[in-house]
Amino acid sequence: MTAPADSRQRILDRIQAATQSVAKNPASLANAYAELPRGYVRHGSLSAEARLELMVKRLREYDAEVVETTPQELASTIASQLAASEKHTVVAPPGLPADWFAVGFNWKIDRSLTAAEIEQVEGVVTAAACGVADSGTIVLHHSSTEGRRVLTLLPDWHLCILRASQVVETLPEYFDRCSQPPALATYISGPSATADIEMTRIKGVHGPRFLHVILVHDEG
Amino acid sequence: MSHVVPNLVNLDPRTAPPFPQAALPMLRNPQLRKNVGHAIDVIQSKRAKLVAEKTDWQELRSAAADIRMHVLENLGSYLEQFEANCTAAGGAVHWAADAEEARHIILDLLRQENASEVIKIKTMTSAEIQLNPFLEASGVRAYETDLAEIILQLGEGEPSHIVVPALHVNRSQVREIFARRMGLKDLSDDPQALTNAARHYLRQKFLTIPTAISGANFLCAETGSVSVVESEGNGRMCLTLPRAMITLAGIEKVVPRFQDLEVMLQLLARSATGERMNPYTSLWTGVTPGDGPQRFHVVLLDNGRSSMLAHPKQRQTLKCIRCAACMNACPVYRQTGGHAYGSVYPGPIGAILTPQLMQMHHAQSLPYASSLCGACYEVCPVKINIPEVLLELRAQVTDIERKTFSRFLDPMYLGLRIANLLFARAWTFHLAQWFGRIGLSLFTRKDGWIHSLPSMGGKWTQTRDLRGLPGQNFHEWWAARRKEAK
Repeated sequence: MTAPADSRQRILDRIQAATQSVAKNPASLANAYAELPRGYVRHGSLSAEARLELMVKRLREYDAEVVETTPQELASTIASQLAASEKHTVVAPPGLPADWFAVGFNWKIDRSLTAAEIEQVEGVVTAAACGVADSGTIVLHHSSTEGRRVLTLLPDWHLCILRASQVVETLPEYFDRCSQPPALATYISGPSATADIEMTRIKGVHGPRFLHVILVHDEG
Repeated sequence: MSHVVPNLVNLDPRTAPPFPQAALPMLRNPQLRKNVGHAIDVIQSKRAKLVAEKTDWQELRSAAADIRMHVLENLGSYLEQFEANCTAAGGAVHWAADAEEARHIILDLLRQENASEVIKIKTMTSAEIQLNPFLEASGVRAYETDLAEIILQLGEGEPSHIVVPALHVNRSQVREIFARRMGLKDLSDDPQALTNAARHYLRQKFLTIPTAISGANFLCAETGSVSVVESEGNGRMCLTLPRAMITLAGIEKVVPRFQDLEVMLQLLARSATGERMNPYTSLWTGVTPGDGPQRFHVVLLDNGRSSMLAHPKQRQTLKCIRCAACMNACPVYRQTGGHAYGSVYPGPIGAILTPQLMQMHHAQSLPYASSLCGACYEVCPVKINIPEVLLELRAQVTDIERKTFSRFLDPMYLGLRIANLLFARAWTFHLAQWFGRIGLSLFTRKDGWIHSLPSMGGKWTQTRDLRGLPGQNFHEWWAARRKEAK
C-alpha cells in the first residue's frame, strides 16, 4: 500500500495527463464556467397568491398538515396546533421568537440537549429559511430559529412556521436568495418516506412522521 | 423457497460469469421478473408524469450535461478546490488510488475512533470497493440503515438496482427475512408493518453507534460542502448523531458551485424516483461546532476513474449522477434484473461503467448486453450517450480479442473468417452457393421452408423458419434471360 500523500499526487497527475487540453489558470476556469449555457427557468410566473396556493397544495400532497394564519394570530395558531395534536412537551431552538411560545405547554429550549433528551419530547417547533412552491420544499439552514439538525430529526412531530415572504416559486429562486451558501442545510419535501418494498409508499421511516406547517401571511 | 437465489449471484466483475450466462437463471425465475417488472412500471410512470410537467426539462438536461462535462475537463482544479475548502471548514480529505487503499484508509480511521461497529448510509461506492466484507473480516460490524440495504444485508442478498437495491424482493420475501433475522414471528407482510420493524430495529443503533459511513451525491468545490440525497431519514440520522463521520466519494462527484445544485436536484429526484424532490436533502460543510459529527473525513476514490477521463468518448461515463433512469428504461434490464450484470452497477450505465472501472480486463460481455435502442440516452438527465460508449467499448473488446490466440477456437470468429475468404472472389462465392444449395436441400421441406437445422444452425431455427435457397441465383437467372433473348 502506498502512502496516502503519494496517492494524492498520483491521482492528480493522472487527471492532469488525461485532461491537459483544458482551462489551466483560475481566471480561464472561471470564464469557462461563466460561459456554460443555462437555458432553464429561473423565475416563476405565478402571482403571489397562486405561488402560496401551490406551496400549500404541494405540502398537502406530501401529507403535511397546513394551516394559514396572520402574524397577529400566530401564537394562538401555534397553541391550537399543539393542542389539536395533543403535544404537551415540545422542544424549540434557542432563537425562537419569544411570542411564539404558546402558554400552557412544556417548552424545552435546546441549549445543547442530548440526543436522548430530544428523543423524549413529543414534538419540535421551528422557523424555516425558505419554502419552494414548485416542489413543496421546506428549507432549513439550521440557524438559531431553525435549530440544530438533530432537533428536527428525532422528534416524531415537526411544526414548522413558514412566512409567506419566504416562499419562492422555483428552486433557482431559492438559490438566488442565498447571498452566501449555507454551511448546513436540509431540504425537506414531505415526511420521511420509503418505497423500498414493492414501490409502496410508506410514511415515516426514521425522520419525523408528522410534518405540520403554519403559513404566516406576513405580506401586504 | 422465498430466498432470492443468493448463491447464484456474483457481483464481483473479476469473477462473475459473462452476461448471457448470468442472465439465464434470472430469465428462468418468474417471481424475480415479476418483482422487477412491477417496480420498474411504478417508477417509470411516476417519472414520465413529472418530467412531462417540467417545461424546461431539456434545458435542465443540457445545463447539467455541460456542467458535468466542464467538471470532468477541469477535474484536477475542482478537486483541489474542494479539498482546500473542506479542510478549511474542519474536514480531512484523503485520496485513495484504488479500492484496496480506500478500504485501508477507512479501516484506519475507524481504528482511530476505536469503532467496533459502524452505521452506514446507502453508498454504491462502498459496494464497489467491497467494504462491508472487508470491515467484517477486520472485526468491524457494519450496519446498513437504508431499508432496502437492511433487507439485503439481513437476507444475505445482493443489490440489483442502484436506487432501489432490493426491488427484486417482494413483501413476502421481506417478511420472511425480517421474521427470521429480527426474531419477529408474528410479523405481517404489510409494507407498513415491515417498515415499522426496520424503524425499531435501527433506532437504538442510531442513538448508540458513534461512527458512520456515507457516500456522497455531490461535492461542492466552491464551499467544500457535501450533499446526500435520500428519502427515509436514515441518512440524516447517520449525518447528525455520530461523533465521527467518513464520506466515501468517487472523484467525479464534484460540482463547481453551490448554485449548481439548483440544476442537479431538479433532475435527480424526478429521474430517480419520480418525485419533484426527494423527502430529505442534506448539505454540510466540514465540522460545525455543536451540530453533528465533530470529526469528519472525506475519502476521494479514483479506482479506475482517472483512466476513463483520457478517452474523449468514454469520459462522459463519469458525468453520471446515479439516478438509475437508464436501467428503469432499459428493455434488457427489465428482463434480466440487475444481478445478471455481475457488478454493483447494473443496467446500461453499469454496462459502460463496469468494464471501464475494470480497465477492460473484466466484464467484457457487458458492452454487448444491450439492443442499442437508445432509451437510456433519451432519459439520461446528464445526456450520457450510452449507445455511443457501448459501441466504442465493443470495438475495444474486439481489438483485445483480435490479439488472443483463443479466437481460433471461437466458432463465430472462424465462421466469419471462412465467409470472408469465400465472399472475396466470385468463383469461391459460386462454389459456396452450389454446396450450400445441395446441403440445405436436405433440410428444405416441400413448402420451400427450412423448419429445423442441426447443430449450430438449430439456434436460428429454434425460433424462426428459414427460407430454402432458390434453385437459381440472380447470376444464373440473368445469364438464362440473355440466352433466351438471343
